[in-house]
Amino acid sequence: MMKPKIAVFEFSSCEGCQLMFANLEDEILEVLGAVEIVNFREIMTEKGDDYQIASVEGAITRESEIERLKKIREQAKVLVALGACAHLGGVNCIKNYQDQEEVRRYVYKERAEWFDTIPARPLSAVVPVDYAVPGCPIDKKELLEVTKSLLLGKKPSLPDYPVCVECKMAENICVFDKGMTCLGPVTRAGCAAICPTFGNKCEGCRGLVDNPNVNSHKQVLQEHGLSVQGILNSFRMFEGYLEVAK
Amino acid sequence: MPLKVIEKRDVEPLVRHLMERFQVVGIKKKDGKNTYGVIESPAELRLDSCATITSPKKYFFPQRETLLQFAVDGSWEPQAVVEAQPRIIFGMRPCDIAATWMLDMAFSEVNPDANYLEKRKRALIIGVDCKEPCDEYCFCKSMGTLEVETGYDLFFTAADDTYIVRTGTPEGEALLEEWGKAREALYEDRVKLRAVQREKDERFKEALEFDVEELPRFLEDSYRSLLWDVLGEKCLSCGSCNLVCPTCYCFNVLDEVKLNLSEGERYRVWDSCQLEGFAKVATGENFRERRGDRVRHRFFRKGKYMKEMFGRFGCVGCGRCTRACLVHINPIEVYNQLKGGE
Ligand code: SF4
Ligand code: SF4
Ligand code: SF4
Ligand code: SF4
Ligand code: SF4
Repeated sequence: MMKPKIAVFEFSSCEGCQLMFANLEDEILEVLGAVEIVNFREIMTEKGDDYQIASVEGAITRESEIERLKKIREQAKVLVALGACAHLGGVNCIKNYQDQEEVRRYVYKERAEWFDTIPARPLSAVVPVDYAVPGCPIDKKELLEVTKSLLLGKKPSLPDYPVCVECKMAENICVFDKGMTCLGPVTRAGCAAICPTFGNKCEGCRGLVDNPNVNSHKQVLQEHGLSVQGILNSFRMFEGYLEVAK
Repeated sequence: MPLKVIEKRDVEPLVRHLMERFQVVGIKKKDGKNTYGVIESPAELRLDSCATITSPKKYFFPQRETLLQFAVDGSWEPQAVVEAQPRIIFGMRPCDIAATWMLDMAFSEVNPDANYLEKRKRALIIGVDCKEPCDEYCFCKSMGTLEVETGYDLFFTAADDTYIVRTGTPEGEALLEEWGKAREALYEDRVKLRAVQREKDERFKEALEFDVEELPRFLEDSYRSLLWDVLGEKCLSCGSCNLVCPTCYCFNVLDEVKLNLSEGERYRVWDSCQLEGFAKVATGENFRERRGDRVRHRFFRKGKYMKEMFGRFGCVGCGRCTRACLVHINPIEVYNQLKGGE
């Protein structure tokens, strides 16, 4: 059997998710047994363009990135969005709520003239995306699950229930009971509620469940002391591209 | 069954003694709240605190449990996995004892469930009486679970410096026999027990404005009530109410293939009828797509269906679901409103 070839690409991001990919250590050897990695700047230098699976990290924030992503889409049979930036636009979208010219000068400084900047967006705003490995950063185990599913010819599926489910199974003290607020009730699970488990609120890095009750949850946030602006800000952390944050 | 008496100061030595042969589980503190956990040292056990976040059902029906191991290509027969160990749950409350009865029914009536029953068989339950309501959310008295006559091996009621201990099973009796430090109850102890029980009963108030036996009828009459839509607007479908409930027993069965892609395991995890995917079938159809329908389903399960199936209510009035619900959906209010809408 031909080993499927995977290529890993990056757009605007911190490269943290690629690092998770590279950090799979022991597991990656087993994965490499079944697949071949052909274009992965983080861990190798050789480049190949005959890949079937493209794992793409990062959000789209410049015109030139749109063209690059479209080329990748043309080549790849399967396109996987890797991490919150690629999946949701992620933290990059915070800039969409600021003055674009100021953002450009802040990021590129004296070379600002050389670069354009467009409102940040997820991959899916530009090309069709087949699957996502959500999270900021992505979860190693989930990345392996998606990889395994693709190799077994199964459709990878993400949990369609909120973080509260995993949080309750872990028997955590709800952070609302500690005077904090949390996006867990509307955020897609799959991270084992890691933030509440360590006493922090869920910031929603895995995106919303398919059918979140956002209106009701906004009322909950308000009841727990957030102003209208505070509520929008909490959604803008990762969900900035979506209607809920506007 | 005989009535025994244990000095309060002898409880720690008793726990230490039990720890030699059993895993002892009881209520412990976690971040200022109560949870059931494995007791590592006898002083950790909190016999007089209640309202744990989730219920002790996790010791019979864990959050995630492996059911069998299999070969992807079917080259060997799937191996069933059943795990159980000798365990004592020390300090189970009357409501949770009643809930355990409900789980026993659910896991043995239709399809006897080896994974549950094996754990259950190897566990002993030592109950402890409540002195006062946990908080404003519990309504065990209205649900008839404030007193339990069965479902425990031993049952402790605090009276002055002693615990008066009811023995519920020969196994419970043997446990005390073998320890050797419990004495027979005297006439005074029996009098004391009755007094304590009377005082306890007075401290608990009825939360429902009607006799609970009427509940199935109120539910039936309210199937089309607008109340369900109102609750559906609020409900986040977060599943917390089910996950913390001591009588909920729904689970989802999933397969996980190992990295070598040749072996895997089948496991189950807790599920919740409030989640959007719960009643979705393979064809993509969803029998309870509307949030309000899901909320209604939960209350019908607790207040009607289980009563019809097993003869007792599926709600023991522990109040955990209300404590966990961020939008304050509270069975006491829901049931009283149903009655009001009669
Ligand atoms: S998802 Fe998080 S970790 Fe991954 S690239 Fe974006 S910012 Fe970095
Ligand atoms: S801490 Fe957050 S995720 Fe956990 S139960 Fe509370 S709201 Fe849900
Ligand atoms: S708890 Fe929330 S913020 Fe934390 S990893 Fe999970 S989805 Fe992301
Ligand atoms: S805990 Fe409350 S919000 Fe969550 S599913 Fe249950 S009723 Fe709905
Ligand atoms: S429905 Fe609520 S009050 Fe009733 S047993 Fe379940 S958690 Fe307790």
